[in-house]
Amino acid sequence: MRRACAMALLGIAAFTAVAPAFPQPPQDLDALLQKTRDARASDARGLDERVQRFRDERDIRATEMREAQQRRDAAVARSESLLAEFDENEVALTEGQTQLDARSGNLGEVFGVVRQVSGDFASQSQNSIITLEHPARQARLDQLATANALPSAEALEQLWLDLLQEIVETGKVSRFSAPVVDARGAVTDAEVVRVGPFTATAGARFLVRESAAEAFTALSAQPPRGLRQRAATLAAAPSGEVQRVDVDPSRGALLGVLVQTPGIAERIQSGGWVGAVIIALGLAGVLLALERFIVLARVGGRIRRQRKDIAAPTGDNPLGRVLQVYTRQPELEPETLELKLDDAVLREIPALEVRLVWLKILAAVAPLLGLLGTVTGMILTFQQITLFGTGDPKLMAGGISQALVTTVLGLIVAIPMVLLHAMLNARSKGLIQVLEEESAGLIAEQSERRPQGQARVGV
Amino acid sequence: MFEGENPLQAVMTFLDAGGPVVYALLVLAVVLWTLILERLMYYRWQMPTDVKRCMADWQARPDHHSWHAHKIKQRRVSEAQRHWRARLSLIKALVALCPMMGLLGTVTGMIHVFHVMAVLGTGNARAMAAGISTATLPTMAGMVIAISGLYFVSRLEQRVQRARHHLHDQMVTH
Repeated sequence: MRRACAMALLGIAAFTAVAPAFPQPPQDLDALLQKTRDARASDARGLDERVQRFRDERDIRATEMREAQQRRDAAVARSESLLAEFDENEVALTEGQTQLDARSGNLGEVFGVVRQVSGDFASQSQNSIITLEHPARQARLDQLATANALPSAEALEQLWLDLLQEIVETGKVSRFSAPVVDARGAVTDAEVVRVGPFTATAGARFLVRESAAEAFTALSAQPPRGLRQRAATLAAAPSGEVQRVDVDPSRGALLGVLVQTPGIAERIQSGGWVGAVIIALGLAGVLLALERFIVLARVGGRIRRQRKDIAAPTGDNPLGRVLQVYTRQPELEPETLELKLDDAVLREIPALEVRLVWLKILAAVAPLLGLLGTVTGMILTFQQITLFGTGDPKLMAGGISQALVTTVLGLIVAIPMVLLHAMLNARSKGLIQVLEEESAGLIAEQSERRPQGQARVGV
Repeated sequence: MFEGENPLQAVMTFLDAGGPVVYALLVLAVVLWTLILERLMYYRWQMPTDVKRCMADWQARPDHHSWHAHKIKQRRVSEAQRHWRARLSLIKALVALCPMMGLLGTVTGMIHVFHVMAVLGTGNARAMAAGISTATLPTMAGMVIAISGLYFVSRLEQRVQRARHHLHDQMVTH
C-alpha cells in the first residue's frame, strides 16, 4: 500500500517535471505524439526500472529485516538465558550472604566474649599478687580488653594460656624474688613466698599489693605472732614439705584492714575525758600502792628483826613500841599490862592501815567511772542517731568506742587495784595480827625467862 | 574451730581466737593453780608437823593455866594460823579477778566487733565473728577459772579454820 502511494507520488512528480516543456507550441502533433509516446515509453521504462529498483530495494530491505529479526531473536534468547543466569546468581548470592551473616555473627560473639573475659581477667589480675610474679601478662590483657579490632589468633591463644596459668598458679605455693616497699618507703628486692592468690610473705613479714602497684607493700601493722611464725616456717621449709599455713581468703583485704585497726594510743584517746580521769586515778592508785608496799615492807622487816631480838625493843617499829610498854614497867599486874598492851596496839594500827582504804575505793570507783563513760558514749551515739539516722554505722562508731574504751579502762584500772589492795591488806592484817595476838605471848615468854618474873607468874 | 591435729594446737587456736585477754587469763590460771596446789601440799605435809611441834612445846611447859600460858598459847596458835593462811587472801583476790578479766575480754572483743562494723559495715557477719569470739571466750574462760577456784578457796579456808580449832582445843589449859 505504502509502495503504491509512493509510486503515485513519483508519477505526479514525473508529470510536473515534464510540464515546463509545454510553453512552446508543438511543431507537429505526430512528432508530439511520437514524442509523447517515446516520452511515455521512456517514462514507462524509467518507471519499470524504478519499480525494479524499488523491488530490489525492497528485497534488500526484506533481507535486512530478516537478518535483523534473526538478530533480535538471538538477542531475546540470549536475554532470556542471561535472565535465568541472573536469577540463579541472585539465589546463590542470597545464600552466600546468609552464610556470611551467620559466620560473621559467631565471630562477633567470640569477639565480645574475648573482650569481656579479658576485661574481667585484667581487672582481677590488676590486684592479684600472682601478677607480680608474672608481670608481662598485665599489658597483654589490658590491650586485649581495650582493643576495638578483632584479636589475632595468637592473642586469643595467649589469653587461653594466661587463664590456664592463673588456674595453675592459684593452687601453688611459690617462691620468687620481687620488690618490696617497706614502711619507710624504701624498695628492696626480697624473696617472697606466695600462697595461691591469697597471701604473700617475705620472711615473717606479711605483704599486700596496693591496687595496681608494681611492688609488694610490707604491712605496717603485722598480724599476731603465731601467724608470722608459721609464715617464717613456711618460708624456710624445703620444697615438697607439707606445712600448715594461714591464708587471707579475701586476697589481702582483711590484712589491709589490719593496718586501719587503731593503736593503743588512738583507742585511749577515744575514751575522752572520762578515760583521762580513769587513767589519772589509776596512776594515783599505783603510786599509792607503791608507797604502801615500801612502807609495809620496811615495817615488816623491822618487826621481823625485833622478833629475833625480843630482849632489846627499839622504838623504830610497832612491835618494839608495844614491847616497850612492858620493858619500861616490868612489875605491872597482868591485867593492867594487857590493857596497856591493847592500848599500845590500838595506837599502832592506824599507821598500818592508813590509805589502804583508798585503794579499795579506787578499785570500786574505776568501774563506775567506766560505766559513766559508757553512758556518756551511748548518749553521744544516740545524738548521732537523732541527727543522721542509723544508716551509717561509722558515724555511731565514735560514741560506741568511747563507751567501750572507758569500760575497758575502768576494768584495767580496777583489776590491779583489787589485786594490790588484796596483797597490801593481807600484809597489813598480818602485821596487825602479830601485834594483837602475838605481842602478849612474846612478853609472856620473855617474862618467864626472868627469875623475878617467874616468881610473879605463880600468882 | 578447735579441731587441731593435737591438743596443744587446739589450745593455741583457742588462745588465738580469744585474744590477748585469754593469754592474761592463762597466766592468771597458772598462778592461781600453782598457789592452790602449793597450799594443798602444804596442808598435807607441813601442817601436821607444825601441829606436832606446837603440841610438843606445849607439853614441855610445866605451866598450863596462868596468864602467861594463855598468852603464849594464843601466840602459838596465831603464828601457826598466820603461816597456814599465808597467800590465801591472794588466792581469793585472784579468783575475784577472773570474772573481771573475763569482762575486760568481753569489752575488748566488742570494741573489735564495732571496729569491724566501722570498717566493713554490718553486712559482713563473718568478719564480726572473730570479734565476737574474742568477746565471749574470755568471759567463759574467766568464769571457768573463777568457779573452779571458788571451790578450793572455801575448802582451804575451812581447812585452816578446822586446824586452828583443833590446835586450840588440843593445847589444853587447866
